[in-house]
Amino acid sequence: MTERYMVEPDVGFINEVIGLGGEDLKKCYQCATCAVACPISPDNHPFPRKEMIAASWGLKDKLVGNGDIWLCHNCGDCSTMCPRGAKPGDVLAAVRAYAIQEYAQPKKLADLFSDPKKLPVLFAIPAVLFIVVGLLFNMLGFNFLDLTPGGDQIEHAKFIHTTLVDIIMIPTFFAAIGIFALGLKRFLDDIHKDALASGKTTVDKIDPKGFVEALVRVIPDIFKHKKFSECGENTERATSHMMVFFGFLGLFIVTNIFFVVLYGFGIHGPYSQLNPVKWLANIAGVALIIGAALMIKDRMAKKDQASGYKDWFIIGLALALGVTGMLTQMTRLGGAAGPSYFIYFIHLLCIWVFFMCLPFSKFAHIIYRTVAMAYTEYTGRK
Amino acid sequence: MTVDKQAPGSGSIMVVGGGISGLTTALEAAEVGYEVFIIEKNPYLGGRVAQLNQYFPKLCPPTCGLEINFRRIKDNPNIKVFTMAEVEKVDGAPGSYSVDVKLSPRYVNANCTCCGECAKACETEVPNDFNFGMDRIKGAYLPHEMSFPQRYVISPRIIGTEDAKKVKEACKYDAVDLDMEAKTITLSVGSVVWATGWEPYDANRIDNLGFGRYQNIVTNMMMERLAAPNGPTKGTILRPSDDKAPESIAFVQCAGSRDENHLPYCSYICCMASLKQATYVRELYPEAKIYIFYIDIRSPGQRYEKFYNMVKADENLFLIKGKVAEVSEDPDSKNITVVAENAVTGEKVHQTVDMVVLATGMQPTAANIKLPADLKYNADGFIVNDFEKGGMFGTGCAAKPFDVTSANQHATGMALKAIQTLVNK
Repeated sequence: MTERYMVEPDVGFINEVIGLGGEDLKKCYQCATCAVACPISPDNHPFPRKEMIAASWGLKDKLVGNGDIWLCHNCGDCSTMCPRGAKPGDVLAAVRAYAIQEYAQPKKLADLFSDPKKLPVLFAIPAVLFIVVGLLFNMLGFNFLDLTPGGDQIEHAKFIHTTLVDIIMIPTFFAAIGIFALGLKRFLDDIHKDALASGKTTVDKIDPKGFVEALVRVIPDIFKHKKFSECGENTERATSHMMVFFGFLGLFIVTNIFFVVLYGFGIHGPYSQLNPVKWLANIAGVALIIGAALMIKDRMAKKDQASGYKDWFIIGLALALGVTGMLTQMTRLGGAAGPSYFIYFIHLLCIWVFFMCLPFSKFAHIIYRTVAMAYTEYTGRK
Repeated sequence: MTVDKQAPGSGSIMVVGGGISGLTTALEAAEVGYEVFIIEKNPYLGGRVAQLNQYFPKLCPPTCGLEINFRRIKDNPNIKVFTMAEVEKVDGAPGSYSVDVKLSPRYVNANCTCCGECAKACETEVPNDFNFGMDRIKGAYLPHEMSFPQRYVISPRIIGTEDAKKVKEACKYDAVDLDMEAKTITLSVGSVVWATGWEPYDANRIDNLGFGRYQNIVTNMMMERLAAPNGPTKGTILRPSDDKAPESIAFVQCAGSRDENHLPYCSYICCMASLKQATYVRELYPEAKIYIFYIDIRSPGQRYEKFYNMVKADENLFLIKGKVAEVSEDPDSKNITVVAENAVTGEKVHQTVDMVVLATGMQPTAANIKLPADLKYNADGFIVNDFEKGGMFGTGCAAKPFDVTSANQHATGMALKAIQTLVNK
């Protein structure tokens, strides 16, 4: 690194990182204990010591587009060993939260997911959307929204028609994917540029085929939570994260089966409780609820780790998704029609918020961390 | 001595601790005419300095400074030395304190000529605290060659055994008195100076640095003993596991220092001590590789900076900016690998060496055992002097981490403070 580098400190950025949970970052005195304490930090340009100095100097360009902030799994080994209580783990989490806001477009929407005061607005959007779109279709002669569904059996499709759900949810889901796609191109370019500039790699160009192969190689590690388990502190987090992770994965599979069966074979729900798909749905739902509850418990007990709205938002949402889904089923089986339809409605609102927040909230780590891990694998960094 | 040259005020001064600071306070006060009691818990004077191989930056042996001080004490009837003595209680106010001092039995009286026959007769060996337990000594022993008072000690561990009888029989001078008992005396003094010094920070508490788990990891104070001609390796610096001459050695700076999980402060001397110890290694082993891992080298002042530059010029010495945070041992060779991030290159360094020295810091003695007096301490256990109140003062490393020079300057100042208490009472 003989090139000259013009230091451009961004004081606003320092304050934002401090505000996002990195409040002790200025205590760092660069002893580099953290980079050795971290069990998953590579030998070549290890993190988080270099990120700590960049953060305290306000070098935003060295952090936002730095893939290493995503390699960190925030286990807290570095914070425990830190001789100054600078909590590098919390600082990196704060920098990630900042980076998510940077890559998600339109930026104005990001506020909805980072400001607790906007939470009611956030949930009001899908509520209005369902009612307005439903009533519009009703006026066109479809019976998509029936506020007084009768009948012997409780069927949620009679209340809010499956087609209406899909008309709203599918575009929302793909909008989230689209936002990710737009941010991701810039993200990958940035982390590559940063890696080249700081000497983390000598690989000049990213070859798409090789990159996808690297991605395929890291997927099993992600499923096994391999990096997570290497952490010394907070090993229990691997368990709760795995439950939530596989909970979501299971429910995603169930939703897709449901979709294909409905539109492909015209068979609609609710399925019998004996149906294997139903088993999967229930197991996944229970895993999601228990996992999210464990996360809350761990975060409440951990006084030395910063937990901000960004953290509570996604854990709370995960728990809400699981609980409303499970209660919808239970009230249906129990024959409590009113509560069941009401809870189902809340469940739908949660799902919409979940889809919409994916690129804007901490959930975005699903994509960014995966890509950063694949990139590291691709460049063969040791 | 004419009347107008007599010291103003009257009364005695007690100095608790006979290390370099306590000796200085005692001598400075005694040499202007005050009566001074030195209370030392060890059987010898000299404290931590006596355990050193050399002082920095002049690299002269501790005999250099201690010898002349002992001479001054011998020549000065104003000074009374109590070894194996500990203060139990302090009553009173500035100007008139009553101090209870417990004297532990030495079992050897003033007849001792240091002929060494008692040690020859004694079969029991006890761990040698002077060498941090790296070797063993006889149950009847002279703590070290330069011990002052120059008199043997009999370990309480052999009292009541056959060995004790043999030791007594071996003494031609009737110097062994096995019936000696502990006693408490009360001394009246006008002022008390606490020069209770420091303990090396317990390296066993630094989990990630392997001390106590791996044989070839020693502390800087152990290194002083290994390098000292009267130490366990007779000054040849051999590594503990196999007495091999080290071909490579790593110094780990700030081991448990500037660390809120251990000692939050800088002990001031460890950087200089490691640089000095690098010269010990170089003197013995011209080819040995020396690695010093540091956060930042603190060599304050022009003389220390010069010393640092002199040591740095050694082309087989490598200074790596990065704190060691992980160590491991090869079970066969017993070599140690230290891991640090070189913050200048941004690469993790895995350096395998024959031997590792942890540059541990100073912890004030009062941090672990509170002194039996009404004193103020800071959060780390250092005495905070209350000059308004006066009467009792902390000096040397009981007050803050010092090198020998600054400790002596502070100790001289506290001699004056003690005198002022007597004059103003």
